[in-house]
Amino acid sequence: MAVVAARSRKAKEALMAYAMLAPLLAVFAVFAYYPFYRLFQFALFQKFSNSDEERFVGFQGIWDNLSSDEFTSGLWTTLKFMLYTVPAGLVLGVLLATAAHRRLKGIKIFQTIFSSTIASSVAVSSVVFLTLINRQSGFFQNVEFLNLERTGSALRGVALSSVWQNIGLTFIIVLAGMQAIPEEINEAATLDGYGPIRRFFRVTVPMISPTLLFLAVVLVVQALQAYAQIELLTLGGPQGSTETLLYKITELQSRTDLQTGASFALGLFVLTLLISVGQFVMLNRRVHYDN
Amino acid sequence: MSQVTFTHVSKHFGDSIAVDDMSLQIDDREFMVLLGPSGCGKTTALRMIAGLETVTSGDVVIGNTRVNDIAASDRDIAMVFQSYALYPHMTVRKNIESPLVARRNGRLNSTERARRVADAADVLGLGDYLDRKPGALSGGQRQRVALARAIVRRPEVFLMDEPLSNLDAKLRTQTRLELVELWRRLETTFIYVTHDQVEAMTMGSKIAVMTAGKLQQVGAPQAVYERPANLFVAAFIGSPPMNLLEGVLETTQAASVPGGRVPVANPASVAAGAAVTVGVRPENLHVGGSDVEATVASIELLGHERNVICNVGPARWVVRQGAHDAPLHVGDTIGLGVDPDYVHVFDTASTARVN
Repeated sequence: MAVVAARSRKAKEALMAYAMLAPLLAVFAVFAYYPFYRLFQFALFQKFSNSDEERFVGFQGIWDNLSSDEFTSGLWTTLKFMLYTVPAGLVLGVLLATAAHRRLKGIKIFQTIFSSTIASSVAVSSVVFLTLINRQSGFFQNVEFLNLERTGSALRGVALSSVWQNIGLTFIIVLAGMQAIPEEINEAATLDGYGPIRRFFRVTVPMISPTLLFLAVVLVVQALQAYAQIELLTLGGPQGSTETLLYKITELQSRTDLQTGASFALGLFVLTLLISVGQFVMLNRRVHYDN
Repeated sequence: MSQVTFTHVSKHFGDSIAVDDMSLQIDDREFMVLLGPSGCGKTTALRMIAGLETVTSGDVVIGNTRVNDIAASDRDIAMVFQSYALYPHMTVRKNIESPLVARRNGRLNSTERARRVADAADVLGLGDYLDRKPGALSGGQRQRVALARAIVRRPEVFLMDEPLSNLDAKLRTQTRLELVELWRRLETTFIYVTHDQVEAMTMGSKIAVMTAGKLQQVGAPQAVYERPANLFVAAFIGSPPMNLLEGVLETTQAASVPGGRVPVANPASVAAGAAVTVGVRPENLHVGGSDVEATVASIELLGHERNVICNVGPARWVVRQGAHDAPLHVGDTIGLGVDPDYVHVFDTASTARVN
């Protein structure tokens, strides 16, 4: 009897669990699982615009696309964009948070200003940046380093705009991480004899390391998914020098050839997965989580 | 020499005064306990010694150096915090070693550092835990790590801010003894902040009682217990607290109170007719006397003795009674005898002791 009762209670609990999961699963099914399934379908079959005929190209077809110059150049641009934006974004966020993490009159005003980009859309900040960098009248018109019209520097310009766009998020999260460090720990470090700089590296940074790991992952994903700023600032140019993978994928989607775009999207998916897993595995060893 | 001196020290936070014109001499190798209720300014006073708070006015001197303008990181003091403030990302070993590596100049070599860490860990019985992180330790062990981190640098002065308040009662009693032993062994100055008068009585070689930012009395624990300087100290020190009752001085050696008359052996320095508050500790009262009439309100059994709580006039008094004395019952009317040698008389208006 007791066994039966326990079993039926377990079944009831399981039923309850699925009931609670259902809304989330439904959303995922519609917006994630089904599109992902369709993506595979698109990638495995080549379709021609002039007919309804489909031809199975299989994994060889996907691989052919992923080994093309088009994909590798996009991959390279994406990785460069990531390297430009992620470390700079993290360092700037930490610097700003350090500057704003003190008890001063009116510090809230600065905290609000520093975090303001979180409330402005990519489109708005891109347009503002475009104005700043305008070759005729912008404040940075003579800064060749960020020139959007030259192949060598355009990606850096787009990257700077993205760093700026993300700085509010990084700032707020790092600041919250710093504020979570008990004041007594900083005081203990001061009495131990650490100066401000060594205290920062020996105490503050290790203690906010979970926050930094989280931000690194978020910023990498943001970099891999950057689209709007490229569309608004350079349209992928000049000469495709700012065409990241995602940008190429969207460009390809607008044509009739779905198979190439779908293959690229799968490639980007695998890249994102690998980088994220790698980050967690690598950083987890050095990250301290309070237990 | 590591004496600490406060000379007319005040600390203001905006409009509120945390420490008010405090002058206090803490001798070399003293175990000074700053005692008072929360918000009395004792922690602020301690933090001014540490350099974690600035001094609004007056001078703080450690040894022979005025330290008002010396940064916390440059003072030769160690502090144990209430929360222990261990570095959660470092092992116990690294935590203890931290004060030895923090300063770049005058840094010991690694062999010497390892020896010092081993010594400190040994003193506090932490040898088996050196490679753990604080998160894997119990409260008592963390507290020991904080102590080890303090002693490893051999500072001139130890500061402790309620270091026992996060421990359970049994561990607290045990650690109290250990801290006193540690103090004897290290032969340095300890300055210890607590709101617990039992800690103050049992550990301090001297105690300084504070309230509302002001120093009330400084002295050896027994002296403060036997001759509290004012009503605040009288009521704060002792458990159960001193019995108090307002009355009028009949002569300099007797006071009339509601329900009786209290004899005073030490003559009062104010004239007859003055409004006074009479204080008698529970152990200086006995049941069966005829000085004061009381009604039994409640009885607490403690095993080795009893606390008889009774109504005396408008006040509640506690009488300490042996466990084998004749039992009393709630509602009994009893006569209390007062030992005149241990009667404390305070001026009701000024609260100061007058006998």
